[in-house]
Amino acid sequence: MHRRQGDDRLPVVLERRRLYILPTRAGAAFGVLLMLMLVAGLNYANSLALFLTFLLAAFALVVMQLCHRNLLGVQVQSLSAAPLFAGSPGVLRVWLGDPAGTARLGLEAAVEGSPRVAADAGAGARACLDVPLPAARRGRLRIARVRLSTAHPFGLFRVWTWVHAPLEVWVYPRPLGRLPMPVYGELQSGRQARPAAGPDEWSGLRPFRDGDSPRAVDWKAYAREAPLLVKEYSLGAAELRLFDFAAVRLADTEARLCQLARWVVDAEARGERYGLVLPGLRLEPDRGPEHRHHCLAALAAFGLGPGG
Amino acid sequence: MPDTAAGADAGRGSPRPLLWACAALGGGLLLHADRVPAWAALLALGLLLWRVASARRGRWAPALALRALLALALVVLVLARFRTLNGLAAGTTLLILMAGLKLLETRTRRDYFVLVGTGLFLLLAACLDRQDLLRVPLYALEAWVCCAALAVIGAQGLAPRAALALAGRALLLAAPLAALLFVFFPRLPGSFWAIPRDQQAVTGLADSMSPGSILSLVTSYDTAFRVRFAAEVPPPQERYWRGPVLHEFDGHTWRRAPDAYRPRQALHFLGTAYRYHVWLEPSRQHWWLALDTPAHSPDLHAQLTYDYELLGSEPVAQGLAFEAVSYTHTAAAAPLAAGARREDTALPSGSNPRTAQLAASLRGRTASDAQLVQAALEYLRGGGFVYSLEPPPLGADAVDDFLFRTREGFCGHYASAFVVLMRAAGIPARVVTGYLGGEWNPVARFFVVRQSDAHAWAEVWLEGRGWTRVDPTAVVAPERLRRGILDLLPQGLSVSERMIRSSPWLAYLLQRWDAANDWWSERVLQFDYGAQLDLLARLGIRTPDARQLGWAFMLALLGWLALITWHVGRGGRAARPDALARAYARLCRKLARIAPPRAPHQGPLSLAAVVAAHRPELAPAVRALLERYAQLRYGPPQGAGQARAVAEFRRAVAQLALP
Repeated sequence: MHRRQGDDRLPVVLERRRLYILPTRAGAAFGVLLMLMLVAGLNYANSLALFLTFLLAAFALVVMQLCHRNLLGVQVQSLSAAPLFAGSPGVLRVWLGDPAGTARLGLEAAVEGSPRVAADAGAGARACLDVPLPAARRGRLRIARVRLSTAHPFGLFRVWTWVHAPLEVWVYPRPLGRLPMPVYGELQSGRQARPAAGPDEWSGLRPFRDGDSPRAVDWKAYAREAPLLVKEYSLGAAELRLFDFAAVRLADTEARLCQLARWVVDAEARGERYGLVLPGLRLEPDRGPEHRHHCLAALAAFGLGPGG
Repeated sequence: MPDTAAGADAGRGSPRPLLWACAALGGGLLLHADRVPAWAALLALGLLLWRVASARRGRWAPALALRALLALALVVLVLARFRTLNGLAAGTTLLILMAGLKLLETRTRRDYFVLVGTGLFLLLAACLDRQDLLRVPLYALEAWVCCAALAVIGAQGLAPRAALALAGRALLLAAPLAALLFVFFPRLPGSFWAIPRDQQAVTGLADSMSPGSILSLVTSYDTAFRVRFAAEVPPPQERYWRGPVLHEFDGHTWRRAPDAYRPRQALHFLGTAYRYHVWLEPSRQHWWLALDTPAHSPDLHAQLTYDYELLGSEPVAQGLAFEAVSYTHTAAAAPLAAGARREDTALPSGSNPRTAQLAASLRGRTASDAQLVQAALEYLRGGGFVYSLEPPPLGADAVDDFLFRTREGFCGHYASAFVVLMRAAGIPARVVTGYLGGEWNPVARFFVVRQSDAHAWAEVWLEGRGWTRVDPTAVVAPERLRRGILDLLPQGLSVSERMIRSSPWLAYLLQRWDAANDWWSERVLQFDYGAQLDLLARLGIRTPDARQLGWAFMLALLGWLALITWHVGRGGRAARPDALARAYARLCRKLARIAPPRAPHQGPLSLAAVVAAHRPELAPAVRALLERYAQLRYGPPQGAGQARAVAEFRRAVAQLALP
């Protein structure tokens, strides 16, 4: 989806002209209530009833202002989503905050096809919203835009905006299948298993990726004005495995991909080294989150065009 | 996007929204508690309390069929009680009962909203029902509670105090626009549909009188109406306010003549013309009380009757103001019609024989009707009659019993007996009920006439003069002319009213209060179509056309919007930083003593590097703190543990010792 104004570059501060506001269902009902009250007040020519009606009408206008003000000036700091497996829900993490440190309560976020989630940003704090992503098919899930909204306070109006910061999330094939996991030797007899690295060995630094645990971040290096780096440890491995698409004894391509994904996930969980062979692609045995991602992404992209 | 709001099922979270919704509804209920049938109020209140009590525990909801059956039964009950569902009392009762039923099935945010809406509608009904100044704070409170309930339902985590503050602020911001709308919003000269009559809670004079019936009025300290004279004020002995004039007598009760068309007695008005303004309190009666003989009808909605009563076309349901001209001296311009003479000399045959004998003896002793009237008054004056609010009961021939045995009574007895005596003597006579006197309020410069000033007197037809007022009570208790009944008979007052009367200071406060009430009823309650035109004329808009008004209103609206936008924007920025930010600020202030102060763009970790460069020996402790801050502030939220972690951080900052 393309917009005339182009995509948003995060962080982006929500300004007046991109906010829309309409009464919620409760607000519409409140309006009907006001109309009834007005008719009753006019009919009985009752000053007190009319004043009450006008007071509540003006109250609704103030509420509209307050609601608009609650989203105006909110800073969208980041949108991120970890890769997910097909058929299981994922999460889009949205960080919202106010540059001036004002409290923003009841901030909501949603993507198309998902329910709204809400969170508060207290004074000087940020709000973290985990928007459930709809379960998707394998490939690359494109999130074209995120809807940010708020009905706070009073819930009579909802002000909303669309943030166009396209995001692509890998959707791995669903790990399924019960075939036994092949070892390297089974496939390529004659070759020796590579020597395994020692257990819990510090294997180096790599750049930070979304989803990495903050505990693994090398904060000391970061404090020295270095980029965000993550410490990697290798746990040592027992087996060496190679998963070949052609060797999976299943008829259906999707079922094969699922089986391969199952093996990759299991092997990584066991701390084993594994490689992947697909038609036209060969990933040498290795391990670690990055390798796992490469393998699963390759499975996800298998047979799909470059657009996902 | 499916509109499944995050709070689609709000029942699972805290019970706070439910409690607030119940508070909003309960407030509306209490405003009507003394107006609806007791069983309805108790039932709704019981359901409310049950719902509040079960807010925390599991819910039990009766089946849909049972609820429908209950609803139907309640509708039938209301119908049986009021014979209609239309009208304020019946409608309010039904609303209260249905809201009570709704409580049985409140689960979702939508249900809570319905409860608050019902609370607001009950508030509106209360405004339509009663507009006393004393109740206005209650109404304001209920509006506040309802809006706070909306806030809590809208944002479930909101603390009660925050909700009240939020709602109060929004309402205060709304008040100026509400006042603007109140003044400029076009009123209707009439109404969309006929307002159903409520026949309950009638106060004031009825259109019949038995000797004791006035008693219920004279012990009430409520205001009946207020009067301000434009120029001249009639002397106390002429402050008779005419209410229903009664012609028909059945031996016990006096009634008005049947509503047949009869020409008004032609009159010459004599003496001073008194101009005055009257503010009637709601009485749900048709009577507009005017000084003795009004010269003409003051308003299209009131009719000047054959007996010079002012009869409104609608019952006085909400207070009313009118301006009139009256005379206290008149002379008939034409003789009494034969039919009227027959009617006003009629008595039940064979009743009160001793009174008839007395009339005959008076007739024998006097030469003219006027002399006979004087002789009768002399008889009352010298006959050992006593003014009392607790007279002994009377027998079948009530007038005979009163005149010759008990000789004790108040205005109703005297007026009734006197008129019977006159009729027995062949003089046309009638009973007039109304009010006598009024209390001068020096603060507001008007007279307050209370229900306790209710009075009954007689009018007799004298040839050459026409109808002439005779007050037999004044002969027995002359001081009644200058003072109210309650001054004469303080035992009729409640304790609190006696206290008010005995203390000049309290009396002064009461007068102030009356003056405030007067302002309220004149400036606010009576602000109608006419008053609006008057006000616009004073603002220079002589012939208000819609466009002009629209522009003026739009300008005012824009001004108000600009004001609240500015206010809302300003209010937001003044927010207090949270505990973590305050602790961090404190840490930064401490660090500024040993290193260059933190630049605005500097984050905690780069600040740690700067401190390490300046004071390497302090670096580990400082860095640990700053890293902790970065983790707390920018790391993923830790839920319930967050508050504890922040508190620990604050303590650590406080304990950090720097040279």
